[in-house]
Amino acid sequence: MKRSVTVAFLVAAVFAVCQFRQAPTYAASSDEHSTNQAAASAISGQAQSADVHSADNVGAKIYEDDCAICHGEKMEGILPAFPPLAGVRRQFSPQQITDLVRHGKGRMPAFTKLKENEMTALLHYFDTSQMISVASIGAGSGAASAHSSALSEIGGSLFQQNCAFCHGRQADGGETGPDLTRSKLVAADAGGDKIGEVVRNGRPEKKMPRFNFSEQEVDGLAAFIHSQAAKAATMKGHRRGVDVTDLQTGNVAAGKRYFNGAGNCVSCHAPNGDLAGIASRYEGLELERRMLYPEDAKSKVTVTLSSGEKAAGTLAYLDEFTVAMRDASGTYRSWSLQNVKYSVDSPVNAHVDLFGRYTDADIHNLMAYLQTLR
Amino acid sequence: MKLLRNAVVYAACAALFSVVLPDLLVAQNIDAIKLLQPAKDSWPSYHGDYSGRRHSHLTQITPENVGNLSLAWAFQTEQNAQIKSSPLLIDGILYFTVPDNLWAIDARSGHQIWHYLYPPNKGDHIGQRGVAVYKDWVFFMGPDAHMVSLNAKDGKVRWNVAVADANKGYWTTMAPLIVGNHVIVGVGGDLDNLPGFLKAIDPETGATQWEWDATLPAGTPNTTTGGMTWIPGTYDPDLNLIYWGTGNPTPVLTGKPRPGDNLYTCSIVALNPDTGKLVWSFQPSPHDTHDWDAVEIPVLVDGVFNGKPRKMLMQASRNGYFFVLDRTNGESLLTAPYGPVNWTLGVDKKGQPIPNPEKEPARDGRLIAPDEGGLTNYRSPSFDPKTGLFLVDAHPSYSIYFAKPEDGDYGWAGADYGLWGKGVLDAIDYQTGKIRWSHELGPDGAGAGVLTTDSGVTFTGDAHGNVLALDTSNGKTLWHAGSGAPMQSSPITYELDGRQYVVMGSGGVLFAWALPQDTVASESQGPSTK
Repeated sequence: MKRSVTVAFLVAAVFAVCQFRQAPTYAASSDEHSTNQAAASAISGQAQSADVHSADNVGAKIYEDDCAICHGEKMEGILPAFPPLAGVRRQFSPQQITDLVRHGKGRMPAFTKLKENEMTALLHYFDTSQMISVASIGAGSGAASAHSSALSEIGGSLFQQNCAFCHGRQADGGETGPDLTRSKLVAADAGGDKIGEVVRNGRPEKKMPRFNFSEQEVDGLAAFIHSQAAKAATMKGHRRGVDVTDLQTGNVAAGKRYFNGAGNCVSCHAPNGDLAGIASRYEGLELERRMLYPEDAKSKVTVTLSSGEKAAGTLAYLDEFTVAMRDASGTYRSWSLQNVKYSVDSPVNAHVDLFGRYTDADIHNLMAYLQTLR
Repeated sequence: MKLLRNAVVYAACAALFSVVLPDLLVAQNIDAIKLLQPAKDSWPSYHGDYSGRRHSHLTQITPENVGNLSLAWAFQTEQNAQIKSSPLLIDGILYFTVPDNLWAIDARSGHQIWHYLYPPNKGDHIGQRGVAVYKDWVFFMGPDAHMVSLNAKDGKVRWNVAVADANKGYWTTMAPLIVGNHVIVGVGGDLDNLPGFLKAIDPETGATQWEWDATLPAGTPNTTTGGMTWIPGTYDPDLNLIYWGTGNPTPVLTGKPRPGDNLYTCSIVALNPDTGKLVWSFQPSPHDTHDWDAVEIPVLVDGVFNGKPRKMLMQASRNGYFFVLDRTNGESLLTAPYGPVNWTLGVDKKGQPIPNPEKEPARDGRLIAPDEGGLTNYRSPSFDPKTGLFLVDAHPSYSIYFAKPEDGDYGWAGADYGLWGKGVLDAIDYQTGKIRWSHELGPDGAGAGVLTTDSGVTFTGDAHGNVLALDTSNGKTLWHAGSGAPMQSSPITYELDGRQYVVMGSGGVLFAWALPQDTVASESQGPSTK
């Protein structure tokens, strides 16, 4: 029953959205939609009468009567038109919420007839219902509170639309995007603090775009990702990604020979110098990726100005029109290439040159050797 | 049932008319002619014309004057989504999209005429590549694999039909292709083990006219699923064949559950547009295990090959090979890599690469060139007839691919990680496959489409967000402008009121470039303009 009530509200609200926007009229052969519509009106009749009896709290009843149609029975909202209210108390003060309710805003109508004590009850309802959701998400435990599951459901929907293509439908990795269920950042995240930062800022260097999601949306995404991570942790087999044990097929002696010989790694690196203890700092796939191409390696640039003056620093930007650097003091400087000459020193290019020469065995052997540098 | 009845009635009527009044039908249907012979003040389909060459006969903007190119207008979508669509221009109105959003804007001023917002849905919002227009109707794909027909005048919805079941994992992103009385559309959906297919939809009723399946239904033992059809193909009206690329097999990174070549995944297929029947096929990536869809534009060129006039089809494929085929029968004329490629044992008698089993993803990793995004991806290349150059946004790159039994045999079934890549615009001599010039586009990759014009100018973008105009003969930069984000779409051009515009999307902004109005006015009296 509980399930059909949710469905009724959601479907009814979705249709409200469509009407509001005067957007689609599903005419020909949209069987899926017309069936849902019929089912929705049938179920919503029952749902309403059931709800009247179950309401045992003034605030909850006001919410169900006046708010749930747009903001969802579980405050999950209907994005992007109607914001979720899960987490609204962390975004707005009681006075701001009261103003919004009494005066309306945008497409949100004004509820002028709400009495003072009813308003207080509604605020109390927001307070009490939302403490649970915040706590359960913070724990990242997948504790089955109604609110965290509702949040996770919103997050899941957002995830399917915006994230699944790269990170996979179950957040376990897909085209170009890493498996989030095994991500260290996700493991360290509490209630979206770390995930939110990545989502809002993106990771341009890794082609991860940024998303302007609201706080509630990020909460939802984080809840969904944590629930997927919890699910994946309990699942035997079918795990994607790369384990440290997967990368142990190489031969140490052959790797050492390659390091000093064919690979000529020794021309830049020293096992007792920059690579001392490298296997204690990195392991598994992270170590292998750094070995193959250290993404954060810096290039040096020397710029010769028309006056003959030379400036040197760390390359900060280069296209065919502009060169920029940070000098030793950290100051950013840029020049139009029409006016200057420049030369770039990128030791990391030696890694690019190796790509065309490695066999897979070379890589596995080199990996075996590096793993001895603890 | 009703649909079926409609389709039968339609087919009967069509048969009757085509027998009795073939000439009259063609003569009345000026839209078909507009699509076959696009006027210079139009860009009526995704590629501009049916050949997919993305080459324009316009000559107002030249290598000599392109340095004066300036902003005519910009349109802000105010959306986070990047513009991946190629706009259409019809009767002075541009139609373009991002997921869930379709705009009609004035091509002279860039101001909005109408905007359509698709209802909330759970489809994959990875991209939206544009619309098709036939008569007065726009055809737009929702992320949830629905086709919407709207009135081009005001964006009012006429009908909305499902072309695939989004709940199973299908989505749609493409601009449909109009051929005759068919709206031809493909689907995406390689996160699940699903068969790919192509459908022809009736432009009036939304009824399905035919369906061509790339692979057998899921669950058929020892066969593949996949072969998605997510980029518009091309059409040869004389041979009456459409050419379409199909996507990777599924499960994606593990090949064991699907032995053999996995037809018709990673294939170029020639179909009859009236029946959907397969006429020939060619497979750029037999038994793919690296996600290298062969959906890149099958470009149609009539020209000389080895001294003989040929009807050719050219594709710079995601797997790193450039293919030239005889498009009458699919026979190979040339197969040549256009960048680093390390996954084959050579090329077979049919001109198809032979995948090296040692380069299938493995537990301890395999170094693979190119990376999963491929040596190129979906943005359009361009063919310049004067120089015989095929210009493609290339992405030399390396990555490591992993797969193990624990990854299962559903969906992705493995993992891969890009290591390094860069962007290069490669100008390929189609008769030899040799690269005549390369223009560096910056780290990681650019991903911009390419447009060429008869005056010898090439338009594209670099990895930093610069819009570039290059000399087609040698790749030298003639003009640039920073657009704030790398171009993820393919540029178009048209002439309105005697002024040539070049239009492209970068980030969420659509830019229109043109020569200053006063120089255009003086030039149009001079000899340099036709």
